[in-house]
Amino acid sequence: MKKGLSRRNLFKYMGVGSATVIAAGCEQKPEKLIPLLVPPDEFSYMPHTSYHYMTTCQECAAGCGMMVTAREGRAQKAEGNPNHPLNQGTLCARGQASLQSLYNPSRLPFPQQSGKQLSWADAETEFTNQVKAANGQIAYLGKPETGSAKPFIEEWLKAAGGGNHVQFEVITQANQREANEIAFGRSDSALYAFDKAKYLLNFSTDFMETWGSVIENTRKFTEMHVFQDGTKNKFVHVGPHISLTGAKADEWVMVKPGNEGLMALSLAYEVRKNKGTHAFLAAYLAPYAPEKVAGQIGTSVEKIKKVAEEFGNSNPSLAVGGGNMIATAHGTETLVAINILNAVAGNLGKTLEFSSESSSAAHSHEDLMNLIQDLNDGKIKVLIVDNVNPVYALPKAAGFAEAMKKAFVVSLSSVQDETTHFANLVLPTLTPYESWGDASPRAGIRSICQPVMAPVNAFNAKAKEDILLGVNTQLNTGQFAGIVTYQDYLKKAWTEIQKGTGNSDPFDSFWINTLTEGGLFTNPARSPVSLRTDVVQTKIQISELEGKGLALLPSPSIMMGDGSGAKNPWLQEIPDPMTQIVWDSWMEINPETAKQSGIKDRDVVTVKTAQGSVNLTAYFHFGIHRDAIAIPLGQGHTRSGMAADNYGVNVLDLLPAKLDSKSGNFVWVSTKAEILPTSQKSFTVNVDGNARQIGRGIAAAATIESLKHSEHHEGHKRPVEFYPDRKETAGYYEPYRWGMTIDLDRCNGCSACVAACYAENNLSVVGKERTGLGREMSWIRLDRYIEGYGDDFEVRFSPITCQQCSNAGCETVCPVYATYHNSEGLNVQAYNRCVGTRYCSNNCAYKVRRFNWFNYEFPEPLNQQLNSTIGTRSVGVMEKCTFCVQRIKQSQTDARALGRDVQDGEVITACQQTCPTQAITFGNLMDDQSEVSKKAKRSEKEVEHRDRQYEILPGLNYKPAITYLKKVNLREVKSLGHSESSHG
Amino acid sequence: MSEKTLTYEQINDELLGMLERPHPSYFLLLLGFLLALGLFVLSLAIQIDVGIGYSGISHPIGWGVYITNFVFWIGIGHAGTLISAVFYLTRAPWRTAIYRGAEAMTVFAVMTAGLFPLLHTGRPWLAYWLIPYPNQRMLWVNFKSPLVWDVFAVSTYLTVSVLFFMIGLIPDIAIMRDDAILKGKKLKALIFTPLSFFWRGTNHQWLHYMRAYLIYAAIATPLVFSVHSIVSWDFAMATLPGWHTTIFAPYFVAGAIFSGLAMVMTVLIPMRVVFGLEKYITDHVVQSVCRVILFTSIIVGYAYFSEFFIGWYSGDVFERSIFYFRPFGAMKEWTLLGDQSIGFPQVAFFLMVFCNVIAPIPLWRWKIRNNIMAVWIICGLINVGMWFERFNIVGSSLQRDFLPSAWGSYWPTIIEFGITVGSFGFFFTLFTLFSKSLPAMAIMEMKESAHPPMRKETHG
Repeated sequence: MKKGLSRRNLFKYMGVGSATVIAAGCEQKPEKLIPLLVPPDEFSYMPHTSYHYMTTCQECAAGCGMMVTAREGRAQKAEGNPNHPLNQGTLCARGQASLQSLYNPSRLPFPQQSGKQLSWADAETEFTNQVKAANGQIAYLGKPETGSAKPFIEEWLKAAGGGNHVQFEVITQANQREANEIAFGRSDSALYAFDKAKYLLNFSTDFMETWGSVIENTRKFTEMHVFQDGTKNKFVHVGPHISLTGAKADEWVMVKPGNEGLMALSLAYEVRKNKGTHAFLAAYLAPYAPEKVAGQIGTSVEKIKKVAEEFGNSNPSLAVGGGNMIATAHGTETLVAINILNAVAGNLGKTLEFSSESSSAAHSHEDLMNLIQDLNDGKIKVLIVDNVNPVYALPKAAGFAEAMKKAFVVSLSSVQDETTHFANLVLPTLTPYESWGDASPRAGIRSICQPVMAPVNAFNAKAKEDILLGVNTQLNTGQFAGIVTYQDYLKKAWTEIQKGTGNSDPFDSFWINTLTEGGLFTNPARSPVSLRTDVVQTKIQISELEGKGLALLPSPSIMMGDGSGAKNPWLQEIPDPMTQIVWDSWMEINPETAKQSGIKDRDVVTVKTAQGSVNLTAYFHFGIHRDAIAIPLGQGHTRSGMAADNYGVNVLDLLPAKLDSKSGNFVWVSTKAEILPTSQKSFTVNVDGNARQIGRGIAAAATIESLKHSEHHEGHKRPVEFYPDRKETAGYYEPYRWGMTIDLDRCNGCSACVAACYAENNLSVVGKERTGLGREMSWIRLDRYIEGYGDDFEVRFSPITCQQCSNAGCETVCPVYATYHNSEGLNVQAYNRCVGTRYCSNNCAYKVRRFNWFNYEFPEPLNQQLNSTIGTRSVGVMEKCTFCVQRIKQSQTDARALGRDVQDGEVITACQQTCPTQAITFGNLMDDQSEVSKKAKRSEKEVEHRDRQYEILPGLNYKPAITYLKKVNLREVKSLGHSESSHG
Repeated sequence: MSEKTLTYEQINDELLGMLERPHPSYFLLLLGFLLALGLFVLSLAIQIDVGIGYSGISHPIGWGVYITNFVFWIGIGHAGTLISAVFYLTRAPWRTAIYRGAEAMTVFAVMTAGLFPLLHTGRPWLAYWLIPYPNQRMLWVNFKSPLVWDVFAVSTYLTVSVLFFMIGLIPDIAIMRDDAILKGKKLKALIFTPLSFFWRGTNHQWLHYMRAYLIYAAIATPLVFSVHSIVSWDFAMATLPGWHTTIFAPYFVAGAIFSGLAMVMTVLIPMRVVFGLEKYITDHVVQSVCRVILFTSIIVGYAYFSEFFIGWYSGDVFERSIFYFRPFGAMKEWTLLGDQSIGFPQVAFFLMVFCNVIAPIPLWRWKIRNNIMAVWIICGLINVGMWFERFNIVGSSLQRDFLPSAWGSYWPTIIEFGITVGSFGFFFTLFTLFSKSLPAMAIMEMKESAHPPMRKETHG
């Protein structure tokens, strides 16, 4: 034979080769190229279709209802459940960002023991063995459970041989409940009817940030405080610190830290004196006459008398107290004092109500201290930690980290954190998005939690209840007969609930109804309460704080909450509304105090207490008492994943582990701190270019007085123009011109809209360094301006997004028509056409265009959250808000199928949808009957909006499609140097 | 006049002598410029690969050093056209010695400048979309955008400059061709023959040549004024305070000529010293250029004053704010506590005023104008000042525009420094190569001004 390749062999090889290629091709599943002619039935999956599932948000204890939009089998957007009585369709920033808890890259991928990967079978066997060996010496430490999980855990513990169920959350209302017990004999939380109050007195409570049911509070507060019928109700903030909530106040009564109780009693003294009711309190209140205590409180007698008069004369009024800032060693007494004030003002049963069904959720930090004691005494063999992070969230001084080493720690957690790091056995659990559950945050509200998608495939996790059921099966206890998964248990529990309601439907239809509605909502009757006469035994003692220096106020953070928000990149990237700082902690200090100690704004200082010291950037804030500093909670993680770790400091490291003797609640305000200057350079990033609007009238305000004399207002008259309006140009605005109004009197700066925009529009997160360069991608931003100086200052918020100008500056300068005005009045951006000259951004007066400086990544599996109805943008492309054009198009498609135009209220932008104060209105400006037209156009009928309408920078004649409505102030704050003018 | 003493032969020999095999120090110089050019290419490659984010440009400062460089280099170019076209038409005799160098400078400067609008875009590989070309996607450019005007202005300018430059070179290349043939250098002869367009120097050819030159000068003259006017409209057509002013076009043109002449001096003075060209680039030439520099300096100074006056006189808060900000930084009322701060934009402003308005003042004195070292230093300062003038315009207005919440600051990154320094490398590499490959002085025109041979002195 000849050497080389013969003809015959060549064909052989070719045959084998092509067979291999064909075989390899067969590996891939054939793709459907032809669209489905017959749609699948109701419950099967349709591509590119939005499915909505009702569930419950579990980022905080409020228990708001959530409606999750899932497409392509993935949860892509969280919105409020419109049926839910608490949040009525809206969500806060944390609720919006809960999607990132679901897709968080720091979620635990598999079960592990001492860092080694285990199979689920081995892990459950190990768990079972430990439980067996513990012989009932078990402690179960979890979040406060309000639904069926609580009896489930207790049943499970009983089956496992006994043990403690300890409930733990950092921010509790234990002192509230105790104070209600003392004052009214009710050991549950009160229902605050903010909306009914004519006058609101707030004692340091951050009720629009973390305290209580935040969204409900915000909504009801807005109803009370918004400008209507030519007037508005007054809101007075009493306390040493102004946070987002206090920023909405019409008056600030600055009191020394920890003296809110004295102030309340002093007011009660005045009110009672004027009204002459509650004679049994006369002697008790006598020592608190304003003349006697004003000096101690740190305010003037006149001020107390004035507030007392206004408060007493408003019927009904409401005094609210709670939160971290009043949680001193006598925090409970302070709250009792506030209860007394409400009682003497006659607010009981009017604005301060109690449900007829008591829902006592008795747990306090004392339980946890006892647990630590038990651990140290060796009374606990197995500690089960369920999705709480006490290693981070307790002061180091409490010694939890040391105590937990004395037991075998089983961690049931969905994400890695400081506590899972020290656990012996770590079992990944599913997030609320992937599991069954329910919650009953208060009587009358039973909210359901259902899986909205299959578990995220990157993590090998199980529902915590199913893990416990697995252990139970292995233990062979005989409990939970007939229950295979937690879903069975839940259904059984709901069968009982159905019986309780007297509903006689078949359970299946009741169940489907419940899932569709998102829960079972009733409005239980209110039961009357009265002030107990033995309340006089409660005495307020103002104890001095430990240490020397300035009082340390650990303020809760609206974004981070108790610290669990830190792992979600959106919450890190969205600026803190008050300071506009991102990815960091800071120390708020009064400029006067700082001047005395030679500290400049943005200096790095060492804050030192007996417990420890941290280095922080000083941030000048007028809204803090001169003898105090405030440090936000929630940062300073060390083992919670890449978004949380090594940003800021944990203020808990500075606090002693002291408990309120009455309620067992943690004492937040207990120590003073020394401030020592350092030579370090600060790398704290804030996104606001300038804190002052220097009289440019961007976040404009009017006083009631000025609105009364409305005939002086010219309104926004347009200058006579050479060019015809676009309205007169054929093809434009027929039949739509989309427009928006933003009511600054409603907006409280909570930034939920910003989070919603991140979720809806696939905005990239760029991190701290790049935000420092101004490269954050937020399409809507919450501008914050400070007016005035010193104690008499005002905070104004204004959400700024693309104004969709009719005469836009960006459009004319784009050399390639990448941005242009479409026929519906949107300033649209063709990303594919953009070359990236950035001229449009330069010429945008509102600076709302965002440029892709790099190809930004969405780390796995965060990319699964991306909204599949729109794309992502690549490097070198300008992007911007287009009023959620994908939602507009969807509504138009739906309307076309019905053969009609889109009707008012059918298109809801993401920011508008989530706004708890309903500050944003969106719709068709060409429709005179639309909500937005009524608000944006001047008419004699719309008294509430008339004379408040303005455009930002009208002098440029950009003709924006967003009309702002001025904030209404009860007082006039002098801005520095400039006079207020809304004309540019 | 000293030229009268020169003979045609002398001019030929001396100016062609400049093109002899260079001294080793020339290669050293070239190496330096090539290194800078390498830096340019490297920085650019990194930026295009990773993204424009490698620069310090950000939000709200969408344009930074790149556009500053663009305006600066375009401005540099203007002096060449002014000298070769405008001064030709106005018959300024002192132009002959410097116009070739200045013209070459124009071509290289426009080439350098033209790179920046491309490389500053987010997607430079798509920059050709700015050119209106028929395509199936029916996409067209936006003729309302000043950036499209820029594309036309700069490309026209480059075309005309190159043509004008080449036409001016024809008789000189013919001399070089003859020289090469004479010395038996075949390769050179081969290159120069087509470039000389087979020039024979007949009367007929001279007649056409002078007509053509005049026509090109007439075409190039409006470009001196139009190109930089259009570049200025990149800013003036925007609504930004500090940009949106009618004075920009004349202000930019004056500034362009000012900076261009300074650059001519910066480049030609070392050449005069190194090659010993005192006979050609005479003190009179330097004096004349200095006078024009002084004149344009006054215009520029007036423009600065006028901007501030109109800013104040308009009563517009945004205008007033920006013109307060440029020299003094934040107004007292701007800050939370009412304290002031001076930053880099203010330094840039004072550098601009000092270099462009104050530094040229000594040129009023004859003695200073005659001191070649002093002139060179002043011209160097003007170059710095004019760069900062553009930086001041580009940077400060974007930093402090309408919404205080969106204010920002800007600091160039190492990549931007690399590209800026590198652009000088690009320009000087080209110029250095040019100075040894083509006559940097117009032989033909020098001869024109010299005493013709075989003619009596009295005719002159």
